[in-house]
Amino acid sequence: MADTTVHEVGLDAAAPVAHLDHDTNTGISNTKLGMWLFLGSECLLFGGLITTYLIYKTPLSGPTPEQIFDIPFTSASSFVLLMSSLTMVLAVSAIERGDHHRLRVWLAATAILGSTFVAGQLYEFTAFYREGLGFTTSRFSSAFYTLTGFHGVHVTIGILMLVSLLLWSLRGKLPEHRSETVEVVGLYWHFVDIVWILIFAVVYLIP
Amino acid sequence: MSRFRSPVAKVLIVASLALFVVLWGAMIWTAFEHDAVPLTTLDPQGPFSTMIDDLVAPVFIIGGMVFVGVLGAVMYFVLRYREKGDDDLELPKQTHGHTAAEVAWTIAPGIVLAVVAFLTVGVILDLSAEEEGALRVEVYGAQWWWGYNYDITGDRSFDSDGDISTANELVIPVGRPVELRITSMDVIHSFWIPALNGKADAVPGMHRDWKIQADAPGVYRGQCTEFCGLSHANMRMLVRAIPADEFDEWVARQQQPAADPPADNELAVAGQEQFVNLCASCHLVDGLNNEQIAQLHEDDEFPLVAGVAPDLTHFRSRGTFAGGIYNLTYPNPAGDDSPFGATCTLEDLENCGDPTDIGLAGNPDNPLYRPFIEDWLRNPPAMKPMAAEEGRGMPNLNLTQEQIDQLVAYLDTLR
Amino acid sequence: MATPDPGQLALPSGNGAVEHRPLGVFTRPSSSKGWRSWFTSVDHKKIGVMYGAAALFFFIIGGLEALLIRVQLWAPRGTLLTADEYNQVFTMHGTTMIFLVVMPIGAAFANYLMPLQIGARDVAFPRINAFSFWCFLFGGIFLNTAWFLGGGADGGWFMYAPNSSVVFSPGHGIDFWNIGLLITGIASLTGAVNLIVTVLNMRAPGMTLMKMPVFTWMTLVTQFLLLFAIPVLTAAQVLLLFDRAFDANFFNVEAGGDPLLWQHLFWIFGHPEVYLMILPAFGLVSDILPVFSRKPIFGYPFIVFSGIAIGFMGWGVWAHHMFVSGIGPVSVLVFSLTTMFIAVPTGVKILNWTATMARGKLKLDTPMLFCIGLITMFTIGGISGVTHSVAPADTQQTDTYYIVAHFHYVLFGGAFFGFMAGFYFYWPKVFGYLMNETLGKVNFWLMFVGFNLTFGPMHVLGLQGMSRRIYTYDAGYGFEFWNQVATIGAFVLAGSIALFIFNIFYSRAKAKSMANPGPDPWDARTIEWMIPSPVPEYNFDPIPTITRRDDFWYRKYGETEDHMPVRIAATDEVCQSAEGEHDVHLPSPSYWPIVTAFGLPIVGYGLLYTHWLSLIGGLIVVAGIYGWALEPPDDPEAEHDHHDDDHGPVGEVEPDRAEDEDLSESEKEVETVG
Repeated sequence: MADTTVHEVGLDAAAPVAHLDHDTNTGISNTKLGMWLFLGSECLLFGGLITTYLIYKTPLSGPTPEQIFDIPFTSASSFVLLMSSLTMVLAVSAIERGDHHRLRVWLAATAILGSTFVAGQLYEFTAFYREGLGFTTSRFSSAFYTLTGFHGVHVTIGILMLVSLLLWSLRGKLPEHRSETVEVVGLYWHFVDIVWILIFAVVYLIP
Repeated sequence: MSRFRSPVAKVLIVASLALFVVLWGAMIWTAFEHDAVPLTTLDPQGPFSTMIDDLVAPVFIIGGMVFVGVLGAVMYFVLRYREKGDDDLELPKQTHGHTAAEVAWTIAPGIVLAVVAFLTVGVILDLSAEEEGALRVEVYGAQWWWGYNYDITGDRSFDSDGDISTANELVIPVGRPVELRITSMDVIHSFWIPALNGKADAVPGMHRDWKIQADAPGVYRGQCTEFCGLSHANMRMLVRAIPADEFDEWVARQQQPAADPPADNELAVAGQEQFVNLCASCHLVDGLNNEQIAQLHEDDEFPLVAGVAPDLTHFRSRGTFAGGIYNLTYPNPAGDDSPFGATCTLEDLENCGDPTDIGLAGNPDNPLYRPFIEDWLRNPPAMKPMAAEEGRGMPNLNLTQEQIDQLVAYLDTLR
Repeated sequence: MATPDPGQLALPSGNGAVEHRPLGVFTRPSSSKGWRSWFTSVDHKKIGVMYGAAALFFFIIGGLEALLIRVQLWAPRGTLLTADEYNQVFTMHGTTMIFLVVMPIGAAFANYLMPLQIGARDVAFPRINAFSFWCFLFGGIFLNTAWFLGGGADGGWFMYAPNSSVVFSPGHGIDFWNIGLLITGIASLTGAVNLIVTVLNMRAPGMTLMKMPVFTWMTLVTQFLLLFAIPVLTAAQVLLLFDRAFDANFFNVEAGGDPLLWQHLFWIFGHPEVYLMILPAFGLVSDILPVFSRKPIFGYPFIVFSGIAIGFMGWGVWAHHMFVSGIGPVSVLVFSLTTMFIAVPTGVKILNWTATMARGKLKLDTPMLFCIGLITMFTIGGISGVTHSVAPADTQQTDTYYIVAHFHYVLFGGAFFGFMAGFYFYWPKVFGYLMNETLGKVNFWLMFVGFNLTFGPMHVLGLQGMSRRIYTYDAGYGFEFWNQVATIGAFVLAGSIALFIFNIFYSRAKAKSMANPGPDPWDARTIEWMIPSPVPEYNFDPIPTITRRDDFWYRKYGETEDHMPVRIAATDEVCQSAEGEHDVHLPSPSYWPIVTAFGLPIVGYGLLYTHWLSLIGGLIVVAGIYGWALEPPDDPEAEHDHHDDDHGPVGEVEPDRAEDEDLSESEKEVETVG
């Protein structure tokens, strides 16, 4: 009977991630597959919002994108977010090696970089608002704040996840065999980064 | 398991199937009944609607044949292969499929559809082609009525000198294509005169081209078909197609501004005063309150909600009012459907149609039918649901009977 | 098993039975029996049954709304409803039937059946499954509370802009619609992730994709459609919400807002939506028809691939809902052609079903009658669909009763007949008693007659120019007769539904004096019939190894060289028994899914009335998520865990923490909306 049932994952603390192959039909764990699917769905959500922005990016009144964007500043904060993907990779690799100290360092670094990005976004929003671009000012402003705001909320949720992981790790609740949890959070984090690259290109760079 | 083979059961089954056949037979039969169904899509009266009808008729026939084929096959298999009794236990051969058959019935409908597609493409292109020598009319929907601006001068503008505006009833010349530029003042509506062409949405913020043409004089009815809020059901319109020479006469009359009522018509003179005080902030009567309305448009260049109501300059030249749902005049003599045909007179009322038979628009030359217009002035939202308190539609102005009499007398002069 | 110590839970955790503690709500629930267990259950079967029950409840509400519509339209100038009331009733009828009836009945079958058909013990994420259900239920209730709080939505189920803006619809009805559907959208999205992972990852040994029952295939296609369609609707709804709540300019025409943007987004969701409503019923029929024809489904790969093809092509046809919107002749042309050719895979399915019946031995029991009803009635809907795909013809047909007739033939004659077949067929499996056959057959014929009387005449009404969504019509348009026939038909249809509900209770009462129908009352083909009826909590013990399609049938029957079936084993021998010890380790019940879901409508009410309520709702959601994340999926203290077992049957043994975070993610999208 045992041969016909799905084995429990993670009973063997030393087992590498690869042993999951035996447990599911696809060889990808449920959690990871679920995350991939969820991210696929997210693509359509952002697709809808980006399309909306593209249709509305020229306002009928109020400040235009060209007047208001501070490309160097946003480039810098984009770079910060991009770097956080690197630290996220290092965090995943740390837990797979069982290096809990480094795991915590890199998780914290990722969260701090992410927070820097969000802080930059908040600063940017305030600056735009002072220059007369309120949420209700024009169709461009509504579309811009909605798209970038949605992304900012995604980053914020990612930071919450990272902080939760960090706290669990500090309490010793994040052993190596749960490295997949970090990996799955990493997937989400990379996705949010990639979406930002797209948004940055579409919103800020393409005239 | 009960086998359900009692005589009662057989009666039930046969009766149900018979009802099905009778129902569909009756439906097909009545669908082609064209009398007394003024909105029917199956009785085209112009070249564009005829094109559509010619295109879809074979599709209906093919569809009917496919259905009969499927139904026939299913019924045959049920009768032929059903279990014949509780002791009929032998199991059938376990066939899993037949690739050639699959390929065949994938390709066969594909070919039929390809033919339909080919024909469809041609008609779509024909219907979107521009027409030579067309009359151009801007059509705008508003909650819950239609307005029309004619480009009479042919300068591709709808408001130069000599162009005319009207509401709810679109008067067109017979045999000449009419290009419509359709838009909306507020929400999305849909302009549809089934006898003359399919429908086209009126979308705020954009104009779209559409065209109609009538082959014979007549009254062609329509109904707003895009849900547009509270009184969507009460947003109707009609097209009066009249011979070209009559059309020119009609245009000449419409080009005149409204004259002041004659001084001896005291009631109407008082009514004009009431109109200026009570109605002129929304309704235009050309020659009376142009500046007031123009100012309104200037203050809010895109008046999405309030401040716009049907142009009443030649109100009495129409047979209906309130979005085409109430008769303004006595209808044409029974059976005479011509747009400006036979008239009836107050002295000879039995020669007129029943004015409460709502929707049967009258000849504008017929005598005014007072009850509807009086009730309307007394309390418009009671006659047609509107959201006047939200700035959409006509509010109840709490008029006295005296005011109503005066206003009706004035409106009666707006020929 | 390395799970967090329950002492670490955010709230005190206990080990005992709930019923002994007055504050039991704070201890981990452990009982899987009794009425309370339904609130905490993570069992896919209980959740499936709850989906079905809730959907039938909403079906009755939606049906009553339909009857109001039909009575109003009995004669010209009907006075039962005012214009405003009528607009609310038809909007809520459509919304209810689509989002709260047809979709959840599909979800009910998917939840209950799909794991059984693939030989799994539960879905991949049982707690998320419970969460999906509660989101659906609370979203549906939230939507309907509008009736008591100022009136339902009145913009039509498609809620076109700009009529849906505050200027034109100042009441709260549209906000209830919008937020309610955002909440049920979370249910659909999480459900989709869950069910897709289940199908892809948790099939029994040997159950390759091409051995899966068709219903499971159609569930997979449906859930993929949901996965990608729901976020598009969510995006559109977020824009609408921001417009209504925060004066954004997305559909404000004065500021350059484009009403067609809403239509595109809505129908990019809305057309796959149509297929995801019909495909589960296609799946059911494809599994039921062979049982009562006593031979396999004809052309299994073609049935499957045509379903997949419909799923793909369903994304390329959305603008056929916009042929009159002004999208330009080129777009009209393209979408006209794509729409025509989606008829091909649909036709393939119909012909394969017909061929399945050919040369069979047809047992005309109630489920079979409903299958035949679907094949014929859906064909009518499909053919009228082809007439709309001819775009110029559609400009005459769209927004008339001809369209109403078309989609009721598709969704009632198609989807709902399929569901009825499913109800009658699977009732013994789910509840352990057979539905009365005589009543069932009367039920079918009554429904067949009522259905045709109701929706058939709408073809004529539409072609003769009766517009949709009108609360009144005048004499002189020739609409009276067929409207009266339709109204009579609607009451016959209502009678058939009443008879169905009566049959449930009648058969249940009768069943007390009758023997259990056993695992396999229909001599069925797929493996869900080899386990006891009703299905034990653990589903299979042991999990079967699958060797071929229709595995259960071939355990009972062999085949001669010319494919004639030969009995090789008695049914009893190949079925699993309910007797004996079953040490199967199942996921423990949990309070957190219902708690988390409960916070969402509170956030919604807060958005409408007072923002501090949103804060409370948000805190409930966050607390729910954290409680959930910290709770191991299995209660280590629970009784069954004391066995040193290696049965390890469920997929969710790893705490699906990260997945939970995803959830929090999509929920927070709703929160941040506040």
